[in-house]
Amino acid sequence: MNAPNPASPPVLQLEQVVRHRAGRPAVRDLSLRLEAGQVLGLLGVNGAGKSTTLAMIAGALLPDSGVIRLQGQDFSEHPELARQAIGWLPEAAPLWPELTVREHLDAHGRLRGISGANLNAMRDAVLERLDLKDISRRLAGVLSQGQRQRLGLACALLHRPALLVLDEPANALDPVQVVALRGLLRELAANGTAVILSTHQLTEVTAVCDRVAILHEGSLRHDAALPAEQHAALEKTFFDIATHRAQAA
Amino acid sequence: MTLFAVTRLELRRLFVRPLGWFIAALALAELGWRFALLLQIFLLNQVRLAALPDGPGYTDLVAVRMYSSFITGSPLPFGVIELALLLVPLLTMSTLASERSAGTLQLLFASGLSSTRILLGKYLAVLIWLALWLLLAIAIPISLAHGTSLDWGKLAAATLGTFLALAVLGAIGVSCSAFASHPAVAAVAALMAGLALNCVNLGAQLAGVNNGFLNWLAMSTHQETLLRGLVSSADITWFLLVIAVALALGVRRLAADRERG
Repeated sequence: MNAPNPASPPVLQLEQVVRHRAGRPAVRDLSLRLEAGQVLGLLGVNGAGKSTTLAMIAGALLPDSGVIRLQGQDFSEHPELARQAIGWLPEAAPLWPELTVREHLDAHGRLRGISGANLNAMRDAVLERLDLKDISRRLAGVLSQGQRQRLGLACALLHRPALLVLDEPANALDPVQVVALRGLLRELAANGTAVILSTHQLTEVTAVCDRVAILHEGSLRHDAALPAEQHAALEKTFFDIATHRAQAA
Repeated sequence: MTLFAVTRLELRRLFVRPLGWFIAALALAELGWRFALLLQIFLLNQVRLAALPDGPGYTDLVAVRMYSSFITGSPLPFGVIELALLLVPLLTMSTLASERSAGTLQLLFASGLSSTRILLGKYLAVLIWLALWLLLAIAIPISLAHGTSLDWGKLAAATLGTFLALAVLGAIGVSCSAFASHPAVAAVAALMAGLALNCVNLGAQLAGVNNGFLNWLAMSTHQETLLRGLVSSADITWFLLVIAVALALGVRRLAADRERG
């Protein structure tokens, strides 16, 4: 993972962010900082405020008070920053069922002001990277849950954002795809992309995150670096079997 | 421009949905039937009408009457406007309500688009679809233009009036879709609002009152002037005003969505 550069502003900075939902405080006085190349695991029980926090970071929801800075700029004053700097995969990967995989990526690109040859190149790269090329002309409405999740991730990655916001990205993925996702996140982080990953699965956090934050009842209760991976040996054995490498050997 | 990206996305959704094609096909078949009946009536009366000085011709009795029954006074099948009152709510019901229920509205918000751009982009797509439908509808009477003398000016005014009426119904439909959580609710709300706006002066007219606020409020009042070939800036302003109010309400609702979550 990349070391923070003290000269450049953090990719993301939350200062005293507050948000109420349905009359109740969903996020209280949340302050957080994320540097380029860091992978932050956001943990918490159901209703802890994880998804609300991620939706605010992605620009889909406005905070009641507090400041969200993206690359040093106040997000509320520059909402267009979301277009270039953030890729967001919400929980359950919402898609337009009438559009094909390829059309989804094109639509996401155009919504972010990308067009022409640039869009074609970015689309083809992400189709290749997420193994979606064979189903690129299939309608999103007929995709399996795992394929939907990968398409959602492809849409989030298409414009090569500086900050990737992922809400339960491993949902519905099979074990082989989960490992591929981990590899992808490590690769993105090595290239300087900051990643926030919300999940219920501790194994996901230990596998890819270098920092973990725990939310409880909307408040940040823990924010610290994560020790070295704990489940690597067990996972290696399992995936050797799952991918038939053990038999081949 | 991102507004056009929303328009393109919505057009794509409109054109791949079977409902859009079904609505267009059903409407055109019904309009074809209406045209055949109007033409038959015109041919039956042609000799008598030819004897009248400044008597109504093909434009008045067939082409313009394709648009509406409000001025025909006969129990013919629906014209473009009556059909639109029923069908536009079905076309617009999913524009925002289904985005909200599927969670894709959040994706549009997260693309850095303002509520105004999202709503205007959607509305523009609906407007393009309705304009294409109107073009196909008007192509039916124009197909006989070579064998008759069309009053192009009167037809243009009537077409403008019809397009503005469709634009009003489209704006109401998109706005209702912005307010509703489910497409069916949006369709019913848009249908009721469209009917109310069109018939709000019915009681006044039955009582023989042909002026006043209720008549000004009714869409049929402003539409009728244009269908008769008279283009008045007051009528056009009324249409633009209703469109602006409907869209402003929709934008306000979307902005509240973003704030409330």
